[in-house]
Amino acid sequence: MNNFIFVKPGMSPKEIVKAVRSLPGVCLTSVGMRDAGQSDFKNRHRIYDLKTLAPYYNNMGLFSAECHGGARWHVGVMNRRESPFEEISILRELMPDVLLQTLIRETNLFGYRPYPKNVIEYVVSKVDIDVWRCFSFLNDVRNMRAVAEVVMKRGRLFEPTISFTAADWTTNDYYLGVVREIVALCAGTDEIILCIKDMAGVGDINRIGNLIDVIKQAYPELVINYHRHITDGLAIPAFLSAAKAGAKIFDVEEDSLVRFYGHSPILSVHAVFEESGIPVYLNRTEAEAAVQKVREWIGHYEWAESPFKGLDHTVTLHKMPGGAFPSSFEQADKGEFLHLMPAILKVMALYNRIVKYFDVTPGSQITWVTCSGIINRYAKERGDAGVKHIIKLITKFIEEKNQDFNSMEKDEQEELLLLFRGAPGDFKNLLLGNYGRLPVGWAAEWVYRSAFSDEWEAKIKERKELSPLDLLKEDNIEKLRNDLTENIGRKPAEEEFILYLMHPKDALEYIEFRDKYGESPLVLPTDVWREGLKKPGDKVDFELWGKPYSIELVSIGSEHEGLIHVVMRVNNKTRVYTVETPRAKKIEVRLAKGAGDIGAPINGSIWRIGNPERGALRAGDIVHKGEEIANLEAMKMENAILAPFDGQIVEVCVKLNDTVREGQLLFVIEKL
Amino acid sequence: MKRKIQKVLIANRGVPAVRIMHTCMDRKISTTAVYSAPDRLAHHVFMADTAVHIGEAPPIESYLNMDKMIAAAIKSKSDAIHPGWGFLAENEKFAQMVIDAGLIWIGPSPEVIKMMGDKIKAKLLAQKANVPTITGISDVTDIEQIKRWMKKEKVDFPIIIKAAAGGGGKGMIKVENNEQLAQAFSQARSEAKKAFGDETILVEKYIERGRHIEVQIIADEYGKVVHLFERECTIQRRNQKIIEEAPSPSLDDGLRQDICFTATRLMREIGYTSAGTVEFIFDSSARKFYFLEVNTRLQVEHGITELITGLDIVGIMLDVAMGKKLPFKQSDIHPNRWALEVRLNAEDPKNFSPSFGTITRLQVPMGPNVRVASGVYEGADIPPYYDSLFMLLMTAGANREDAIRVMDRSISRNLRVEGVKTLAPLLLSIIRHPAFISGEFSTRFIEEHMDELISMFKEKNSEDEVLKIARYVAEISALGQQKWM
Repeated sequence: MNNFIFVKPGMSPKEIVKAVRSLPGVCLTSVGMRDAGQSDFKNRHRIYDLKTLAPYYNNMGLFSAECHGGARWHVGVMNRRESPFEEISILRELMPDVLLQTLIRETNLFGYRPYPKNVIEYVVSKVDIDVWRCFSFLNDVRNMRAVAEVVMKRGRLFEPTISFTAADWTTNDYYLGVVREIVALCAGTDEIILCIKDMAGVGDINRIGNLIDVIKQAYPELVINYHRHITDGLAIPAFLSAAKAGAKIFDVEEDSLVRFYGHSPILSVHAVFEESGIPVYLNRTEAEAAVQKVREWIGHYEWAESPFKGLDHTVTLHKMPGGAFPSSFEQADKGEFLHLMPAILKVMALYNRIVKYFDVTPGSQITWVTCSGIINRYAKERGDAGVKHIIKLITKFIEEKNQDFNSMEKDEQEELLLLFRGAPGDFKNLLLGNYGRLPVGWAAEWVYRSAFSDEWEAKIKERKELSPLDLLKEDNIEKLRNDLTENIGRKPAEEEFILYLMHPKDALEYIEFRDKYGESPLVLPTDVWREGLKKPGDKVDFELWGKPYSIELVSIGSEHEGLIHVVMRVNNKTRVYTVETPRAKKIEVRLAKGAGDIGAPINGSIWRIGNPERGALRAGDIVHKGEEIANLEAMKMENAILAPFDGQIVEVCVKLNDTVREGQLLFVIEKL
Repeated sequence: MKRKIQKVLIANRGVPAVRIMHTCMDRKISTTAVYSAPDRLAHHVFMADTAVHIGEAPPIESYLNMDKMIAAAIKSKSDAIHPGWGFLAENEKFAQMVIDAGLIWIGPSPEVIKMMGDKIKAKLLAQKANVPTITGISDVTDIEQIKRWMKKEKVDFPIIIKAAAGGGGKGMIKVENNEQLAQAFSQARSEAKKAFGDETILVEKYIERGRHIEVQIIADEYGKVVHLFERECTIQRRNQKIIEEAPSPSLDDGLRQDICFTATRLMREIGYTSAGTVEFIFDSSARKFYFLEVNTRLQVEHGITELITGLDIVGIMLDVAMGKKLPFKQSDIHPNRWALEVRLNAEDPKNFSPSFGTITRLQVPMGPNVRVASGVYEGADIPPYYDSLFMLLMTAGANREDAIRVMDRSISRNLRVEGVKTLAPLLLSIIRHPAFISGEFSTRFIEEHMDELISMFKEKNSEDEVLKIARYVAEISALGQQKWM
């Protein structure tokens, strides 16, 4: 079986590139563990299920498994409560011979804002990934420098990526320019693989073959990976065209995972290539087994699929990328404007000709929020007629007037000048160059007038020509670590800290969840994870740290005053859990937080407020540093509470003989 | 004079009450428990043959209420009272009331309790019996007095302020400098008043890096006084012992003989009867010991002496109270084991903040060489009104290393307490600490090593982890899918 392994972790980038070059035909990257889930299942596929594919992957002869990065990281922390670090270590154990691949944004890494260079270097150096596919939504190769340097220095494979779209400005010369910059950044073509990221799947069959041919003519030794979403329905012929032009690696997923926004089915791709006389490096038996394995659990994720089903060739117009589809529809559904989707997609098709960049994170989010914002505003203010009106206006501006602002009527000009007034901050950041250089220059002047109103001239002067890598001030990493320590009340693990660096708020919630619920996200089957145990006698068996455990539901009581008692047998021992419903009465305990807040040092009861000399103290009283202001008794020991500084009592927050808990607010004192 | 005991009222609760009942059961002597309102369903109540409600939660209305205690004994037809430790155990007035009511007092005579209860008098008596004492002053009423004494006797800080009537670490405060003096003094007085109803204070030089060693004494009414060797109780937090062992690792045989005979001499001199303890502070660098106090009662840590000698001290107290002679002489006592005790208090092991509530799950250590003295059962409440001690864990072995090894197993692999926090993680860190293992420590060991000890707390075990998972399953089963998913 092991004879299918031709690249594996531990090989140098040079060896890996050489191994791919020497294949007679093509090989495959499986995106079954990342992009498949992101494109069609809102990134909800749990490692509990995905890991069942790992043993097959290990023997399949894949080039790599994309199992990390993109939005999977953030959704893992937020919604699956899984850490990407745990996922890597689980997969390393189960498929030790497979190259693990991530998808990373050049300066945004696994988040949505540019991080300073030292944070980028810190994070990239701590993540154990073999293949680093790195893209820029602006194709601003300068932005890739920090990631490239750390990855290449670590001896891992860097896979610089060009974002691809079909537009009048995305010419062969344009792309050749980008490739030239990449080759210069990476000192040649021997230690990298170039990825062409057709993230919406919009390249038509000849265009793709032609582009790859042009690149291969300029750089014959360059190994090219073609990444293409399937929404337009033409992915497989495009694959054939790319392979004939010399692309070596293709992104695929299990046939049983394929829906409408992800990637091509692995078995079909294998069949098409073989029939066309292009050898595919693949252990097909293992691939078939993996396709079957998916069927065992994919049913748990039906709820996460997009309500907007079916292939749709109009994607070539609006160009919303596969990965952005599910989250956009989720938002539209939640915001109750799902019916406006066709109009939003229409505006996107026009918008991408006004402000030119690539619709991939964070660009796709900027496009989405900006365009859905415009349509929502018109729908709210002027109904269906308003929606039709604005589409007509922009269409006229672009198609009739060729974006000549001055040729529009006066009132139309005024309306266009309000088009981006409510645009999101990230749209404005993009116009200001905070993400980097736009692919074919800044947007037209009227766009700035529209977005920034009276300040437009000042804002144009503010535009940055340098990469954010050179602009952003370094973060104080140790200070951030201390912030986290303070927030969670203990020393964080290194992995927790990196999660915090990426998404501070969500990481805190994640850490709190895991401190409370332990390894639930890793050991519970998906139905139990989502719905719990349903009826008495239902049970879940699992292993934790090498020992067997069993949880069986005995009964769920009825709700009383916001509480439900759940009786379960945990390894045969009966336990009762009191569960608070949202209606549970919360006993508010104010905690000492600010500088003037005096908290209880331990649990106990307040038996004296004030001291024997002065008697009781009240709000308004002046106290002196070191003076006893209250006394707390706990298990027959007295604890004097002393004033930390000279001050005036603003509030006495407890009554005599109150039982207080550690940290509870006793006094607020204003410093004098 | 021989007296018969058929039923004992135990004027206590929790661990001491249960301990005493065990020996009574061995002897086929009936028992009566007393309980305050929150203790209605407490372990000691279930253990006893009969039980009497004696009042509300505050000790002063229940376990310290002498009239109610005597009435309960009469009502339950008990003929003797054992006070346990704490509460009324060293109250000579109560001992006298018991005797005056025609009941048998299981403990030393009221006269001896009174004599030793006054720290100042006790110290004078010790000096008279040629027992070394620490320099100090008594009957302190204001801090100027302390300052004058320090000047006159050339005493430097630290000093220690103690309640003359005290014991058990209450009303006892170490003072490091002049600034702390006034606050410490008033706190000691107030605590003394609260705990013992007497605010008399004495002050002594504080022996830095001292070790706490005590000698167990038993004596009958016929003048026979026998020691059961020493215990070392140096590991303390806030002047309260949390780990004890017997014998002491800091004594050689010469010093051991010396300290044990000194204690015996003192107790003989004062006419002691029943079980009691002479406490010393041991200056290990100077290899000198000084008299601290006499505890005129059964002590918490008596169990480790029982483990090394094979005797039942509570049984001996019953025999002495019945007027029997000690059936052995000093030369019959041969300790042949090492024993260790840890006190499981319901406290946060990081800051000793009390943790009261319901013990939702209790798994008690078993296996060779373990003795558990528990005051609770699974499902019992730990109320906030009383001492936080709820269980004693004792282990024994052929030598110190063995005893520590068994203790390690007992705490780390066998013990589970859920619902309240306990000192268990701290106790485990201590017995695993190299300084403890080598026997090199002082009464300040915990304060000096606290951060290090906390860092040794074991992070996770699979038992705790599976309960977190079970909690998750319970919540999702009850509440259904969550928004954040």
